[in-house]
Amino acid sequence: MSRWITAAYLAYLIAPIVLLVVGSFGESWFNTLLPTGLTSKWYLQVATDPSFRRAFGASLFVAAMTCLACVAVGLPLAYAVYRAHSPRIRAVARALYLLPVALPALVLAFGFILVFSSDTLPWLGSPWLLVAGHIVLGLPYFLQAVVADMQRLGLRVLEEAAESLGARGPQRFLHIVLPALRHSILSGLIVVAALSIGEFQFSNLVAGFLSRTYPVVLLQAFYGATGFACAATVILLALALAASVGGALSARGATRVSAVQG
Amino acid sequence: MSAMPAVALERVTFRYSGAKAGIFDLSLGIEPGELVVCIGPSGCGKTTLLKLIAGFLRPESGRVRLGGEDVTAATVRARQCGVVFQSYALFPHMTVWENVAYPLRVRDVAVAARRRKASELLELVGLAGLDDRLPAQLSGGQQQRVALARALAFEPRALLLDEPLSALDAATRVAMRDEVRRIQKSQNIAALLITHDQDEALSLADRIAVLREGRLVQYADPHTVYDRPASAFVADFVGRANLIDSTAVAPDAVDTPIGRLLTPAHGAAAGAPLKLLVRPERVEVVAVPNGENVFAARVVRDRFFGATRQIELAIGGGTLKIETATRGAVAQIRIPRDAIQFLPWQ
Repeated sequence: MSRWITAAYLAYLIAPIVLLVVGSFGESWFNTLLPTGLTSKWYLQVATDPSFRRAFGASLFVAAMTCLACVAVGLPLAYAVYRAHSPRIRAVARALYLLPVALPALVLAFGFILVFSSDTLPWLGSPWLLVAGHIVLGLPYFLQAVVADMQRLGLRVLEEAAESLGARGPQRFLHIVLPALRHSILSGLIVVAALSIGEFQFSNLVAGFLSRTYPVVLLQAFYGATGFACAATVILLALALAASVGGALSARGATRVSAVQG
Repeated sequence: MSAMPAVALERVTFRYSGAKAGIFDLSLGIEPGELVVCIGPSGCGKTTLLKLIAGFLRPESGRVRLGGEDVTAATVRARQCGVVFQSYALFPHMTVWENVAYPLRVRDVAVAARRRKASELLELVGLAGLDDRLPAQLSGGQQQRVALARALAFEPRALLLDEPLSALDAATRVAMRDEVRRIQKSQNIAALLITHDQDEALSLADRIAVLREGRLVQYADPHTVYDRPASAFVADFVGRANLIDSTAVAPDAVDTPIGRLLTPAHGAAAGAPLKLLVRPERVEVVAVPNGENVFAARVVRDRFFGATRQIELAIGGGTLKIETATRGAVAQIRIPRDAIQFLPWQ
């Protein structure tokens, strides 16, 4: 019984993806169950479309900057939360940094529009504003991954050990903290990158015409040829898939290494 | 002895903010090459004591000396104590030899020399050939040995072990006891080992420091701690004990809940309260129901341990724990006069 439910669920999960892939290679798809003809022209069209090319670049840029900022801000923040003396402070900090998960991206976007369309802060349309928003949306996941890893590893004791063995502060950071956390930093970043690349609600409202990210431009594709829209979507899907496979692999690596502590 | 103690605490007091726990006016010295085991119930300040020596905590008052040098204000790094943590704290991303050689790496020793030294130490702790494994690929006992080798790699001024054996299974724990002592003696290094296991303390230590609520209640060799405990607390914590409240009735006799006992001369006036200690293994099972300090007994609980039995007896209005190798029935027991000790009344 459970086997059938699993199979049905998998079919439900995979069917739209399969249809997208089939559609992206179909010559024409109009009023039939499946498209007719085989072609790669849609991919070529997407690849040569200037607005898609720009959007692809914008998405990669925003995702990369968001990741960099998450490390720069998130690592010290995670450390501070982990090292907080009182469990009360830790609990409150955790609730605070997880809050954006419950925040609809739409609400965040309206806030940004209100603040940044004013004359004092007229930055609406800047790609950096997109980065700023994606940091808010992604940071909770990064912090969650890294703080949990710090706790699981017992980072504090590892640092105390290194200190007693003679390591200075910077040595402890470079030799112990960073390498020990490398898997959770990586898997946290992959979640952040996937989130940033696929984010639509916030980006659609806040992006300027020239800083539109891939999903925002993708919406336009659905007003044109079906095959073109499918091909454009498959590209986004491939990016997201690459991110989640990377995340799963690094998470597996982390559990293997951390079996020490068990 | 004129030589400086390797580790010395002088009237050290430390209090955790907002808590009553801490260390109070504690003085203690560890001689070079000596293995001191610190024992006490949880929360008595054992680990605090270790952290004060290692430098993770700074005392509120008093001094900490290593080899005579005052290190009260020195950093953890400057103190150069080898610490073995309860969780081993091996670096999960480094191989066994990299872990052991880490203290040499931060001291800028060349790679080849580091590898050589790590191999030497791994041989010392019985892990020759496992240099390139990851900690995750080792058993608990092996990880323990790596932690020990790492703590010794930089010729530390003292070795501090925080419940190093508590995470091991019973059989490994007993084997590792001997190993820890062998390795510590081979390096002739002053060592402080924290434990809550009295067997570990008795079998390992040159001297035992018994802690209670942040105070040192006895500091002596294992025989003295067991045979001449300083207080009822020590007697009860180290080994099994019958602690009997009694009243003096004659210069060498007391009244107890189990009956009148003839004792060594106690010098107390009649009517004075006295606290007695009788170790369970000193009580004898006898066949004839008469003689000095012989009492009829009823078995309340009988636990069999193979070599011995631990039996709880009801005698008169009191109870008595005994430990005996006898397999037969227990109907009467004798408490030899010299098995009775007097402890300070608390």
